[in-house]
Amino acid sequence: MTQHSASQRQQRKRQQARKQALVAYALLSPFLCLMLMFAIFPVLYAFGLSFFDTIDYVFWGLTNYREVLNDYRLVPAIYNVLQYVLVWVSMMVVGVTMLSLLLDTQSERTAAIVRSIYFMPGAIASSAVVVLWLFLLDPLVSPFDFVYQFFGWENRQSTISGLGEVWIFALMGFLGNSGGWIVVLGGALSGIPRDVLEAARIDGANPWQMATRIKLPMISKTITLMAITTIAVGLQIFVEPQLLSLAGGQFDKPDWSVTQLAYFYAFRWGDFGIAAAISILSLILPVIIALTLIFATRFYKIK
Amino acid sequence: MNQARKFRISHFVIWSILAFFIIVYGVPLLWLLLAGTRTESSLISDTPLSFGSFATMKETFLNLIRYNSGQVMTWALNSVIYTVGSVTLTLLACIPAGYALAMAEFRGRKLILILTLVAMITPSQAIILPIFLEMTFLGLTNTYTGLILASSFFPFGVYLAYIYYTTSLPKSVIESARVDGCGQLQCFIHMGLPMAKPLLALVAFFSFVNNWNNYFLAFILISDDSKQNLPVGLTTLISASGALNAQEAASNLPVGQPEAIQAAILVVLPIILVFLVSQKHVRSGLNAGAEKG
Repeated sequence: MTQHSASQRQQRKRQQARKQALVAYALLSPFLCLMLMFAIFPVLYAFGLSFFDTIDYVFWGLTNYREVLNDYRLVPAIYNVLQYVLVWVSMMVVGVTMLSLLLDTQSERTAAIVRSIYFMPGAIASSAVVVLWLFLLDPLVSPFDFVYQFFGWENRQSTISGLGEVWIFALMGFLGNSGGWIVVLGGALSGIPRDVLEAARIDGANPWQMATRIKLPMISKTITLMAITTIAVGLQIFVEPQLLSLAGGQFDKPDWSVTQLAYFYAFRWGDFGIAAAISILSLILPVIIALTLIFATRFYKIK
Repeated sequence: MNQARKFRISHFVIWSILAFFIIVYGVPLLWLLLAGTRTESSLISDTPLSFGSFATMKETFLNLIRYNSGQVMTWALNSVIYTVGSVTLTLLACIPAGYALAMAEFRGRKLILILTLVAMITPSQAIILPIFLEMTFLGLTNTYTGLILASSFFPFGVYLAYIYYTTSLPKSVIESARVDGCGQLQCFIHMGLPMAKPLLALVAFFSFVNNWNNYFLAFILISDDSKQNLPVGLTTLISASGALNAQEAASNLPVGQPEAIQAAILVVLPIILVFLVSQKHVRSGLNAGAEKG
């Protein structure tokens, strides 16, 4: 009899668990639909499409991939993007770390105000940033004209070629993204236990030693996270080089980055098969980065 | 005494660096806001950070409004529609999803969580072309619905909600409520939702910024001029008028650099205002986003 009721109880428990799981799926369903529509399905669709000649709709295996890899514009585009990512990531790691550590030596209130000023440019994004930069790069109107005068750059053309696209886009990225990460590192720094810092102070560590030997190792994980996400984002650069053409035809660089090349194939040539192949190829690296990050840091586990 | 001097020097060095960067970060925005009040000739001949006049600002604004009989206002209205639609859908999708991932046990939970994180970290640009192909297939390009739906997918929002519920709603509370006969759905409605206010503000802010600034997706999905949003409209305005291009600037439109600047301000200002109001939330949200780092 006890056995009977035990199995009954177990059955009821299982039933309840199933019901609860159903409710959970119901709560998740709007988001799952969106994820299916705008992440999973498009990737699968593009994957399938990348094996077809999309102009005559015939299967042609790896031809699209072969064509992309043989495109004479691909190597320069990869080279541009890699240079840009390298410069941008270095700027972020050095600049954000330095500013965060310096701000940590100030009182909380001062630091908060300065952080807000640093964060402000991060609020502008997309086309407005590029438009703003096209003004900033024009010695005629720019508030930084004295710098350009120093180098002898007299018009926008000479500023852009003087600085070079790589540095311009890296500066844009730094100005727009560093503020947010300074806030994040500020949070990580304030999370360091006070007694650790106090003990170091008593042992006679000066501010420089405190910063480099105690604080820096304790925030190195957050810095790595910043570097990795910056790389993932940087590899996909599109808007900045694309919009440089607003300043005139001589600035038009439709194949500067890899993402632009995909766009070029899709919309100027109507060849979506090759565009899909580029999309798939350029997804591989970010997804590997994401998975490594997730499993290495156990991102999904929260204490 | 020696130490005091050393302290003063290091203090001076630290503040010079911080101040230098305050200029680097602050001046571009300050310049933009001031430039909106100046005439074309003032932009070129006066010192960069000077103030023009309110009369000029008004005149420039009227010029901007008159462009293509009020197209800028249409774009602004479109931006509002896209943003309100997407933020609403984002909240409706993210909050319950984050709650379920944090509170319930079910099969596939970890897989969904990992997919969400991958989608969050992988930059969205790589996937925009495939989304365009799909939307063409569904006949949703050039529609409000299409862009609103596509920009409502916001995995970062789910992650924020997931962290929020995991850290601020103890599982034991939910479990004891469940023992008392409260079903999962009731628990969400009676406990999850009422405490979600700060979370709503947080997700709404980030989703608002994303959507208001949305350029690439709108650029790809919307080709009809009258359905564009402000960020795309801004570039249409500038390339049509040649406002930024000395050689083509001879167009007879009264749209020059001052108008382009004010159009850019129109894109930027709402974000700055909302940011100033919700700074504290933003900071806590950024920290939550990176806490696991």
